[in-house]
Amino acid sequence: MRRLALELLISAAAITASGATAPKVAWTDHKLPNDLRVLVAEDHHAPVVSVAIVYNVGSRDERKGRTGFAHLFEHMMFKGSANVADGEHSRLIQNNGGRMNATTDQDRTLYYDTLPANQLDLVLFLEADRMRSLDISKENLDNQRNAVQEERRLRLDNQPYGRTFEVLQALAYENSYKHLPIGSMEDLNAASVEDVAQFFKTYYAPNNAVMAIVGDVTTEACLARVKKYFGDIPGQAPPPQVDMTEPPQTAERRQTVEDPLARLTRLDVAYKIPDAKSPDLEPLQVLSLALGGGRSSRLYQSLVRDKQVAAQTGTAVGETRGPGLFQVFIAVAPGKPVPDVEAALDAQLEAVKTGEIAAWELDKARNAARRSFIGSLGSSFDRAVLLAEYTAFLGKPDKINTQLDEIAAVTAADVQRVARKYLRSESRSVVVTNPKADAKSDGAKGGA
Amino acid sequence: MLRTLALVVALSAVQSAPPVKTPQPKGKAPVSNEILRVKLPRPAEADLSNGLHLIVMEDRRLPQISFEIIIPGAGGYFDAPDRLGIAAFTAAMMREGTTGRTSQQIAEEIDSMAAGLGVSASAASWSASISGSSLTEHFDRLLKLTTDVLLHPTFPQEELDRYKQRTRAGLVQQRSSPQFLANELYSRVLFGQHPASRVSPTLEALDKASRDALVAWHRERYVPDHAAIAIAGDISLAEARTRLEAALSGWKKTGAAKPVVENPADLGGARIAMVARPNSVQTSLFVGTQSINRTSPDHPAFVVANRVIGGGSTARLYNNLREQKGYTYGAYSGLSAGLYRGSWQATTDVRTEVTAPAIDEILGEIKRLRTEPVPEAELQEAKRAMVASFALSLESPETLINYYITRWQYGLAADYWDKYPERLMAVTATEVQQVAKKYLDPSRLQLVAVGDAKIAETLKSRGAVEVYDTEGKRISN
Repeated sequence: MRRLALELLISAAAITASGATAPKVAWTDHKLPNDLRVLVAEDHHAPVVSVAIVYNVGSRDERKGRTGFAHLFEHMMFKGSANVADGEHSRLIQNNGGRMNATTDQDRTLYYDTLPANQLDLVLFLEADRMRSLDISKENLDNQRNAVQEERRLRLDNQPYGRTFEVLQALAYENSYKHLPIGSMEDLNAASVEDVAQFFKTYYAPNNAVMAIVGDVTTEACLARVKKYFGDIPGQAPPPQVDMTEPPQTAERRQTVEDPLARLTRLDVAYKIPDAKSPDLEPLQVLSLALGGGRSSRLYQSLVRDKQVAAQTGTAVGETRGPGLFQVFIAVAPGKPVPDVEAALDAQLEAVKTGEIAAWELDKARNAARRSFIGSLGSSFDRAVLLAEYTAFLGKPDKINTQLDEIAAVTAADVQRVARKYLRSESRSVVVTNPKADAKSDGAKGGA
Repeated sequence: MLRTLALVVALSAVQSAPPVKTPQPKGKAPVSNEILRVKLPRPAEADLSNGLHLIVMEDRRLPQISFEIIIPGAGGYFDAPDRLGIAAFTAAMMREGTTGRTSQQIAEEIDSMAAGLGVSASAASWSASISGSSLTEHFDRLLKLTTDVLLHPTFPQEELDRYKQRTRAGLVQQRSSPQFLANELYSRVLFGQHPASRVSPTLEALDKASRDALVAWHRERYVPDHAAIAIAGDISLAEARTRLEAALSGWKKTGAAKPVVENPADLGGARIAMVARPNSVQTSLFVGTQSINRTSPDHPAFVVANRVIGGGSTARLYNNLREQKGYTYGAYSGLSAGLYRGSWQATTDVRTEVTAPAIDEILGEIKRLRTEPVPEAELQEAKRAMVASFALSLESPETLINYYITRWQYGLAADYWDKYPERLMAVTATEVQQVAKKYLDPSRLQLVAVGDAKIAETLKSRGAVEVYDTEGKRISN
C-alpha cells in the first residue's frame, strides 16, 4: 500500500499539473507478430486493471438470412474454450472481485473485464484462450439462441416502441445497417454450428482485434504476459470488407407503426450524416447538444416547456464506421396532433440554420466534452474502451486526447453549416408510432 | 388462511426437480489466490453550525467535485395517503424558479457548465436528496445555484401547470412497462398500506397538487437539523466547511424532531397476484418477501445468501433459468434493507410458454437454499467475490463516499466498513441456511406476475389468484 500511495502522488501530479493545460492520457502502442494490436496505459491510482478487446465485426458484417448472428456469437464466447469450461470465464472474473461483459453493435463486438490488478494473468489467459480455441457445440448454441431470443423479447417485443427502432433503421438504410444487431427470430433459428465455426475463424483472429489494457500494471511486464498468452494464436486472412456506401437519399421516407404496447405517440426523425472519421462529427455533436441536450436545450424549452406539445425530447449523433444518423426523438404530449409537433420541430431546426448560436451553447458543448474526458480519467474501464474503440474505428487512439480540442474549436458558423448541410427534409426518415388500442393487430404498416 | 395453506401445498409439491448442475470448472486458468485486501480511505467529517453533518472524501486526482445533500423527513414516505406525490412534486419544482432565477435560467446555467444539479424525493424514501457535480472551477457557481434552489424556490404557478402537463404524460407512459407494473403490484402485495408500498405518484394526486401544498412542504421539511451533505473529489474538509458555512448561512436550524419511520406490518400470508397485460410475449416474475432492517444482525448472512442464489450471472438463478434451461435472458435476486424492513425478491422475465416451469425453478432454488447447506466451495467463491470487489471501488471517490453515507444514515459503527470484509468472510453455510429458513419460508412468499391473461390458468394451480388490469384495478379473483 505504501508503494501505491507514492505512485498516487506521482500520477496525481501528472494529471493535475496545470489548470489551463488539459491533462493527457499516455499509452504505448504495440503490434504482435500475429498482428494483434495492444495498447497499454499505466495508472497506479487504484489496484485495478481493465482490459477491453474490440473485434472488428458487428451486425454490418452479417449476411442475408443470418441477422443477429454477430451478437449470438458473442454469447458463445462465454460457453467455454480448450482450457476454460462453460461459464468458467464469468465465474473466475466475478469470484475474484471483477466485472465483465460484452456488447455487440453494428460495427464492433467489445469484450471487457475490470478486476483487482493482481489478477492480470487470469484475465489475459481467459481472453486468449477463447480467442484461440472456442468450444463450439450444438448444445451451447441452442441454449444461447434461447437466451438471445429472450433478450429480443425483453428489449423489443415486450416493450413499447420496440418495433419502432427496427422500422426506423430499415427505413433509413439500404446497406447492412438496415437491421438491428439483435436480428430476427427466424434468422436466429437458422444459425448453425457450421456458421459459428466459420465466423470464429474469419473474424475472431488476432489480426482483427485491438486490445487495450489500462490500470495498475507496468507496461513491460504486461506486454511480456500478453505475448505469452496471445503470441502463438495464428493470424488469419483479413476478413472481407463490407461495402457500406449509401446511395444519396433524394426524398423523405416516412412510415407509421401501430404499437399495441405504447401509450403515447412517438415521433422519430433520422437524418443521414457521414461516418465517424468525418471532421463534421464534432460540429454535429455541438448541434445535438444545443438542440437536444438537457433541459436548457432548444427542443425541451420550446416543445416541452413552452408549447407543451411534447412530453420528452432527445437527440443523438451516431458515431459509426459507415454513414451515420442524426436522430431526433419526441414523445408527443397526449392529444397533440403530430403535424403540430413536426412543425414545431422544423421551426427549431430552421432557427439553428438561420438564427444565432449563443456563446453559452458552445460553452455547454466544450464543458460537456471536458467533463466526459475528465470522468474517463477516473475510470480505467472507460479509458480502455475509448482507446480500443478509437483505434479500431479510426486507427487513431489519440482521439481520446484530441476530442476536447476538436470540440473546443467548433464555431457557431460550423454548427450552422452542418445543420444546413445535413438536416434537410429530403435526407430524413420519419417514423410515427401510434398507440394501438386493438390487441389483435401485429405491427408496422404504411410506406414511403 | 385456507388460501395460504393451498399455496404452501402447491409450492411444496413442485420442488422435486434435481439440483441444476454447474459445469465443472477446468481449473487451468492462473488465479492469484491472494485476495487483494484494501483499506478503504475514511472521509473527514464535521458538523456545521446549523446542524448539517458534513462528510468529505477528498481526492485531488481530478479537477471535479460531486455532492449530495440528504434531507430526512422530505421523502415520499411522509406523504399523506391521500396526497401521494407532494414530496416528489416539491423536489422537482425546486429547479423551476427561484427568487433570483427563472426555470430557463437555471437550466442554462447548469448545462452551460455541463454540471449536474437535481432534487429528488422517491416515493417510499424517508429523505429527499439534492445532488450535484461539476468541474472544480465551476464549483462555487454551482454552490450558489444550489443554495438558491434549496432555500429560495418560488414554485411559480405557471411552471407548476407545465410540470403537471409533462409529468402526466410520464405517469401514463410508465404503465406500458411490464417491469414497472410488476414492481408496483409486488410492492403493494408485500407492504399493503405501509409507505414502503409506494413506487410512484398517482395521476389523481398530480391533478390535486396545489402550489400551496408544495410551498408548505418545502418550508416545513427542508430543514438542516438532521440533514447531511457528502462531498467527494477535489476539495478538503476545511475548504468545504468554509464554503458551506457561508453559502448556507440562511439555512437555519428549526428544532424539528428527527423524523421516524415504522416497520411495515407482518405479512398476512402468501398471495398470488398478476397483471393481465394484453399483447405480452413474456411474463415478468417477482417472487419474494419482506426482508430485514439494515441494522439487523442477520444482514451479513442475508447478503451472502442473496449472492449465492441470485446476486449476478454466476449465481444459481441465472445458471439454472438461463444457462441450463434457456427460459430467460437473465434471472437475479435483490435484497433491500433500510430504516424500515425492506424486501427480498427473485426476478426474471420469461417467454409466456415457460411461465409455469420457470416459477417451479425459482421456488426450487429458494427451497434448496433453505433445505441444503451451501457447499463450502460455492460459499467461499460468493464471499470472495464480494470482498475482492472492494478494490474496484478505490477508483472512484463517489463510490467510496456512498459507503459512508450508509454508515451515517443507519448509525453504523465508525469502523463498520473496515470490519465488513471480515464479517462477510465469517458467514457460515449454517448461517446462510438459517436466514433462508427464517425469511424465505413458503408461507411468506409472494408471487407476482405480469403477462398475458392466459397465465392466470397456470397460476391457479398454485392457489387463488388476484388479477389486476394495467391500471392497477382488481378485475377478478
